[in-house]
Amino acid sequence: MLQLHGVTRRFGDLSAVDDVSFEVTDGLLTGFVGGNGAGKTTTMRMTMGLLARDAGEIRWNGRPIEVSDQRRFGYMPEERGLYPKQRVIDQLVYLGELHGLTAAAARTSATGYLERLGLGDRAKERVEKLSLGNQQKVQIVAALLGEPVALILDEPFSGLDPDAVDAMTGLLREHASRGIPVLFSSHQLDLVERICDRLVIMARGRVVARGTVAELRSAGPTRYLLELAGDAGWVRDFHRGVHPVDVDGSRAVVQVEQPGSEQALLTEAVRRGPVHEFARVVPALSEIYREVTA
Amino acid sequence: MNPRPIPWLIVMRREVLAKVTDKSFLAGTLLTMLILTGIIGIQGYLGQRTKTYDVVATADAHPLAAQVATAAAKADDLVRVTVTGAADAAAARAAVDDGSADAWLHHEPSGWVLTGRTGVPAVLTSTAADVVRTSALTANATAVGATVAALEKGAALTTDQLVGDPERSNLNKGIGFGMAFLFYIAVLMFGITLANSVVEEKQSRIVEIIASAIPVRQLLIGKVLGNALIAFVQMAAYAAIALVGISFTPIGRLLPSVTGPVLWFVLFFAVGFLAIACLYAVAGALASRTEDVQSTSMPLTMLVLAVFFGSAFASGTLETIGSFIPPFSAVMMPIRMLDGGIPWWQPVVALAGLLGFAFATIVFGEKVYRRALLQTRGRLSVRQALAAAE
Repeated sequence: MLQLHGVTRRFGDLSAVDDVSFEVTDGLLTGFVGGNGAGKTTTMRMTMGLLARDAGEIRWNGRPIEVSDQRRFGYMPEERGLYPKQRVIDQLVYLGELHGLTAAAARTSATGYLERLGLGDRAKERVEKLSLGNQQKVQIVAALLGEPVALILDEPFSGLDPDAVDAMTGLLREHASRGIPVLFSSHQLDLVERICDRLVIMARGRVVARGTVAELRSAGPTRYLLELAGDAGWVRDFHRGVHPVDVDGSRAVVQVEQPGSEQALLTEAVRRGPVHEFARVVPALSEIYREVTA
Repeated sequence: MNPRPIPWLIVMRREVLAKVTDKSFLAGTLLTMLILTGIIGIQGYLGQRTKTYDVVATADAHPLAAQVATAAAKADDLVRVTVTGAADAAAARAAVDDGSADAWLHHEPSGWVLTGRTGVPAVLTSTAADVVRTSALTANATAVGATVAALEKGAALTTDQLVGDPERSNLNKGIGFGMAFLFYIAVLMFGITLANSVVEEKQSRIVEIIASAIPVRQLLIGKVLGNALIAFVQMAAYAAIALVGISFTPIGRLLPSVTGPVLWFVLFFAVGFLAIACLYAVAGALASRTEDVQSTSMPLTMLVLAVFFGSAFASGTLETIGSFIPPFSAVMMPIRMLDGGIPWWQPVVALAGLLGFAFATIVFGEKVYRRALLQTRGRLSVRQALAAAE
């Protein structure tokens, strides 16, 4: 388990990361969401020990994290880069060896991952011959080599085609199911919503929301959709515990201010005529995101 | 699981492998070796070739021309002079003009004249001058009842030198310049290569992956040592070709006498190269893009130039002082040693100083390198890098 407590980093006058606390639970995929400049990359670099922190603490399995722990993490930096002139497999073996694997073990592991990502036949090519998406897959393999004890991945999905996204998701799930914490950042909210167990949302250097997708949803306002046979204009004047958000023709969306008051609204609607639909509105992650980062 | 290998060794191996599998590097090295061999071969060929000169003379000048031919062959066995006769002055002049003869030897009221078309080859001039002078002296001496030997008594001047012999001095100058040039080329070439490879890692951000796996110090040491090793092997190959070439020339017999200083130079080269290479790695780390390297490495390029010019042209006290000051000592001490007469402690002190300098640059270099490596916004100054938090 990886825990951040009050982690802070300033660049001059700018607080890039300000009092950030969250945890990355073992065995779960934690999505790290936020706009450009929100502080995700800086947070990940501090977690990897690449940047010093001005304040705060990072704990690994309950004790302060040490360099020897971070060396066993799998890391994928934000900006993609490998040695362009070196062959894919040689490069992966090199990085594997730097992580303490033997050359043979690194080769076996790298070859396996390359095959799963559809790059098995390109292992002997130079990196510069590969498309950007494929180069990225090579970087992902670099992060996965040698049974890392945690995965810290900065934008692993950007630039991948849908098949690669699926393969990648499978790999991440597999590693999480080994019982290790996996933290990855992404801009693709729909993707995060689909595959993440937990979420951390950052804005302007601070954590603005965290929890499971369900928790974040339930923390948001409760809304109901009402679809009638006739005109729904009367809902605008129905002020008993609900607040009209949007009324248009025969449809109305209301926000429940007192729990249970939606029942009174339904009763009133049935009294007035046929009701075609009455349902809880589940907010999309993008809506929650817009709300918490606003 | 095997014991964890030393990270800098892995980095060093990659640096070496990346270099020796780089086609342009291999081609460049091979080309340089070919050019070196070619230059030495041409020099050797020119040195061994017999040069032939044709002198034309009319009947009255023929005996003297024949003497010139004999004298020339006696003085240098690589020179041949052939004498052809001409019916009259006009024919002789024509022979020189159309190039069938190199010079025309003829007698005028003022004395003997050697006429060429656009000039007279130096070896002909000097030989002919000697022959004319001796012949005139003999005639004049006989006229006054003396001998040439009596007339010339006490008139000869020969030169001598206290240390070594003249050929040895020239060899020393040549080898000394060679050392200075080798060091200059090696440091400049590999320094820039090293700086570029550092900035390449920085620019592509692979350095983040590497730094998350091993300490940055290990990366720096591995890179510097890897490049030093390649530089060393390459320069040794060039030097070997040059020395083998020299051994085929007449001064080759003197080579064994410079072995000691040359071996010392190898040691000084290695330590001096390490020190400066480390600074080049720093220059690379201070840049954010390859284009910046030129300006961040400018002070170093100046320093390397100063070492080159200092060691190639300094003499006397300046040379003695320089031979103790790192990084100048890397080249200047071995050059001084070529001339001999240096107490044993002097190279030891100079080498110790150079080692201290190398150590200081590695410590300083690592500090800057570590801080600058993750700064990607434009060029940094050393002060900015040191002020930056890690």
